[in-house]
Amino acid sequence: MTAGVERPPRALPRLAVPGAPLLEVDDLRTHFTLAGDVVRAVDGVSFRLDAGEALGIAGESGCGKTTTALSLVRLLPANAKIVGGSIRLHGIDLATRSETAIRRYRWREISIVFQGAMNALNPVARVRDQIAEPIVERLGVDGRTARRRAGELLELVGIPRARGSAYPHELSGGMRQRAMIAMALACDPAIVIGDEPTTALDVMVQAQILDLLERLRERLGLSLILITHDLSVIAETCDRVLIMYAGRVAEEGPVAEVFTRPRHPYTQKLLNAFPNIQADRRTLDVIPGSPPDLRNPPPGCRFAPRCPMAMAVCSEIVPPEVAFGDRVRVACHLYPEGSSGEPIAVPAVAQVGQA
Amino acid sequence: MSGDEGRMEGRVKGRPEGVHYGGAEGRAEADELLRVEGLEVHFPIRRGALDLLPGRQHGAVRAVDGIDLTIRRGEVLALVGESGSGKTTTGRVVVKLTAPTGGRVVFDGRDVTNLRDAAAMRDYRQRVQMIFQDPYETLNPKQSIGDFVAEPLDVNHLASSADDRRQRVLAALDAAGLRPAEDFARRYPHELSGGQRQRVVIAGVLVMGPELVVADEPVSMLDVSIRTELLRLMLDLRAERGLTYLFITHDLALAWVLADRIAVMYLGRIMEIGPAEGVIANPHNPYTRALVSVSPTTTPPAAGVRATRTILVGETPDAAHVPTGCRFHPRCPLAFDRCRAEEPPLFDVGGGQAAACWLAEGGRDLPILAGIPLPGVGVATPAAGDELAAGDEAAAQA
Repeated sequence: MTAGVERPPRALPRLAVPGAPLLEVDDLRTHFTLAGDVVRAVDGVSFRLDAGEALGIAGESGCGKTTTALSLVRLLPANAKIVGGSIRLHGIDLATRSETAIRRYRWREISIVFQGAMNALNPVARVRDQIAEPIVERLGVDGRTARRRAGELLELVGIPRARGSAYPHELSGGMRQRAMIAMALACDPAIVIGDEPTTALDVMVQAQILDLLERLRERLGLSLILITHDLSVIAETCDRVLIMYAGRVAEEGPVAEVFTRPRHPYTQKLLNAFPNIQADRRTLDVIPGSPPDLRNPPPGCRFAPRCPMAMAVCSEIVPPEVAFGDRVRVACHLYPEGSSGEPIAVPAVAQVGQA
Repeated sequence: MSGDEGRMEGRVKGRPEGVHYGGAEGRAEADELLRVEGLEVHFPIRRGALDLLPGRQHGAVRAVDGIDLTIRRGEVLALVGESGSGKTTTGRVVVKLTAPTGGRVVFDGRDVTNLRDAAAMRDYRQRVQMIFQDPYETLNPKQSIGDFVAEPLDVNHLASSADDRRQRVLAALDAAGLRPAEDFARRYPHELSGGQRQRVVIAGVLVMGPELVVADEPVSMLDVSIRTELLRLMLDLRAERGLTYLFITHDLALAWVLADRIAVMYLGRIMEIGPAEGVIANPHNPYTRALVSVSPTTTPPAAGVRATRTILVGETPDAAHVPTGCRFHPRCPLAFDRCRAEEPPLFDVGGGQAAACWLAEGGRDLPILAGIPLPGVGVATPAAGDELAAGDEAAAQA
């Protein structure tokens, strides 16, 4: 990845610790308060993102992937709070910064493309002005310069500059998503988080958007975090994948390893539940049951109640995360510290499809 | 020669001898449950009150523009297409929620295009049911699950007594996998998960004892693990009750898993139809081939694989401005002169498969080595004046 053909080397934030990794999340815990109950949406998540890298965070609804993303930019809803862990950007802990201090980093260092571009754009403002606004606000340039920059950003994402005078409803779904990406790039961030950036788009438009993200990453030397329930999006665009289940990391590692030799039973099931035209298989695995209630998660491994391989220990002790030689880490009692880490195939409990 | 004439020719004379769009040839006619012939749904575009006067029409949105389909009893036919392809409108015509402007619908040997008789309509509504996409919007938050499932019985006065009504509701909930049924009948939508809600919707369909179920993206709002459970329920119901499905989806891979046959739609026309295996493994229409090539997969790309994807330039044109000739030609990387002038009919390519493409005339394969998709990013010329498409092209070439 040749970083930044077009842009000068980025200046690091003033407080940056020399030599610190781009982003290091350690034991992040974000809890919600819901009618007096504590919902452990994110409960001890750690990962690292290096410059120019693309990390995919995958899991089903309620696994905590979006909450993780919102924690990184500190845009959590009022009833959610980071209760533990750290988010170190260039060594600066964002988890404990004040709301005012965080503004120095949000959009300028980490920005986010929200899911549902339809709802995230202001319907009564022209697209160009919406992109220019954060530029004026954050970088302190005048309106004309900002609008010119907005025009350049639109061209960068494949929207003709003249279309910048359009209102969101005048653009197609794919165009709106492109505009959202342009907005995320407005302050030249180091990291862009895409929260379900292609969900609800047609396959062909989805392919166009993923292709665009890929090109932008190469051209601008961006680091990407893609949050999605769609494993194929990650397979096609990311270097590493982090599979979340019920607020915790189930498995994490290089896409090439995790997707071809999945270890965690949940990862295996998830991959086998995904229809794949390129495979010869026309059946899908069914994962019986549903994810646990995070107000009162089961002790031990949270996947144990649905796991065909569950042992006695699984419902008692939380499996530690064990790292293996191929840079994959797994939280599963099937792969204890010191084991070979050879994937153990989980049998299909039930299948669906045209055998 | 104008493209319109070409299109008309394609539609009127476009059905070559011996092609059964319905699938495997030589099947007994008695097997056929639903037949759609030359179906058209054109929505008029009106700009003002004066346009209501006869002869003042400004044009039409050709949502469905002449399609033929047959579904055999017990079959799953998937109707696959992107937004604006007319797949949902086709489904709505079949369940009689939208009136066609042309063509006919034949159900179980009887023309049901213009059912006037209330009794016949009631009978049809029992035998043909629809599952909608969003279980959150289908259910009424203030209505108990039992009452929701009973509603079609109440509306059509089908239950002979309160006890009969109750028994039918419980049987439907049980068949939809909501057990214990009595417990679920008392609950309200907010007490259920997304997967359970969609099961309730299915129970509301089953209570009528239908033969044909039109399922419009029934699982696209759901997570993978819930999705597979529902697909299993749908296939189990087919095995147990001989249900026939018209499965409408944007997801070609899902269609491949579930369907016996696949029909691919684009801008109101069927581009390709045939057994699922054939359409996916050996597509004869460049549009189908492009869709297959971008279909999501969880296999990480090996070096060079990316180059074999065909990402089409631009977006599906608006159905109010259907291109002349083959409606796919402005985005087709293989288009030639004839494509711009004449609309191709469905050509039989063997094995019960047919493709609407001049390159498939006489059953030929696409002019590419078998198994190797079209090269790289498509560079079709966008229609003149279409700046959106031009923008996409710029992005594609950036």
